[in-house]
Amino acid sequence: MQLNNQKSIKSALAIATTVLLGTSVARATDVESTLLVYSEKDRVSAAEGAVAVSHNLDENNQVRIKLTFDALTGASPNGATTSKNIQTYTRPSGVGTYTSQPGQTPLDNTFHDSRVSVNGLYTKRLGRLTSISIGGNFSSEFDYTSLGINSGISRDFNNRNTTITLSGSLSVDKIRPVGGVPIPFASLPLPSTSLPRVGPDDTKKTYDLLLGITQTIDRKTLFRANYSYSHAKGYLNDPYKIVSVVQDESSPNPGEPVDFIYEKRPDTRSKQAIYARLKRYFNGNNCDISYRFFWDDWSLTSHTIDLFYLWDLKKGRSLEPHFRWYHQSASDYYVPMLVENRPLPQFATADYRLSTFSAVTVGLQYAFQVIPAHTMKLTFEYYRQFGDSSPPEIFGSLLNYDTFPALKAIMIRLGYDFSF
Amino acid sequence: MNRSSHLLVLGIALALGVMLSGCTTVGVKVWERDILATPYMQPDRHSIERELDDHIYFSKEGSSGGRGFGGGGCGCN
Repeated sequence: MQLNNQKSIKSALAIATTVLLGTSVARATDVESTLLVYSEKDRVSAAEGAVAVSHNLDENNQVRIKLTFDALTGASPNGATTSKNIQTYTRPSGVGTYTSQPGQTPLDNTFHDSRVSVNGLYTKRLGRLTSISIGGNFSSEFDYTSLGINSGISRDFNNRNTTITLSGSLSVDKIRPVGGVPIPFASLPLPSTSLPRVGPDDTKKTYDLLLGITQTIDRKTLFRANYSYSHAKGYLNDPYKIVSVVQDESSPNPGEPVDFIYEKRPDTRSKQAIYARLKRYFNGNNCDISYRFFWDDWSLTSHTIDLFYLWDLKKGRSLEPHFRWYHQSASDYYVPMLVENRPLPQFATADYRLSTFSAVTVGLQYAFQVIPAHTMKLTFEYYRQFGDSSPPEIFGSLLNYDTFPALKAIMIRLGYDFSF
Repeated sequence: MNRSSHLLVLGIALALGVMLSGCTTVGVKVWERDILATPYMQPDRHSIERELDDHIYFSKEGSSGGRGFGGGGCGCN
């Protein structure tokens, strides 16, 4: 009896301590799963599935494994300008061609891909205030393989109101483009002729460093800020993107293409970002707002605002609207096209993702508890980019066309999370 | 990085410094953590969804990172 009493007092104290320390009574294993369908109007469609399992080995050791699979198909802009004529391009393999119709944005419709990715993370608590982690990731596509390791340390201060995190990662990627690695600025060859290639593959190394602070502001508010630095070295071109070389203003058909050449970007890129996030509780509801300022040494800067508002509908149900706004200014190396009889710049890419544009995402998630510790989530999101349809560099026939036809996409996600 | 970017970084660093040094006035006592312990207030809530989102935006925009590390991949299309 004495022993039983001691046990029950001990377990009561353990529960009370957990509540006081702010950690709910943890279950051993958490499973998060999600299925995503992503569909762009007239372009890429993708289906993606991901499962993450976090398991507490004991109160100090946790492992997390995530598996992701995605399959993509559809058409993607190849970087060429729109023309009044049918344009024909050799496929990346060098065998066969694809075309773009007069007045239509040139899209490479030959692409489809699937990706498998595995991430693992082991976290260990060292004493009451410090934890360390080590992880790895591997992802594979038919033309791309990435292998990475990461590690981090975090420590609590100020009665556990402040947490400082420092983490780093290193990844080595191998790119094996269909048909080989193109020689930058070489002309797109005619089909079934010798391809201008540097070799069959190339590599890229990326180093990342992240310093973060999480601060409890008051009983209802949490603040997080990160500074991150990333340096990539190696093959940073997109092997499937080309740049149109167009006739100059004094020619008979100004703005019409005379050649297509492979793009050329620098072989290093340093990216930095400041990220700040505030989570605040309001009478049962919850607001989560974050801002990211990003800049790199290709002169690309961007601002991102992400806003989630969670309405707790009680009985395990919730509704969560989402709004995201993004704006980037163009990289120095972005050009809509090059002009014949003018000297080539040191670097040039017509990839719209390095141009100036804005993007908006609006979404809504409905979540409900299926049974205790099991939650189902249904999310619908709409994403749209807005760019400069008539940048100052264009002239001649290019003025007749939209240089940045808006990318519009819908994302539908079905998620199921449970713990045991 | 231009001058305004430098100023922004400096401003945020200063704000963080002030926040750290003034930690006696911010923060909560151990017994005031009831709300912070609820699932909605966990910083890594919806982590798998945010990771998928990050991969989409990494493939469609010129920026990436900030929140954490990416999971790798080409993102070419």
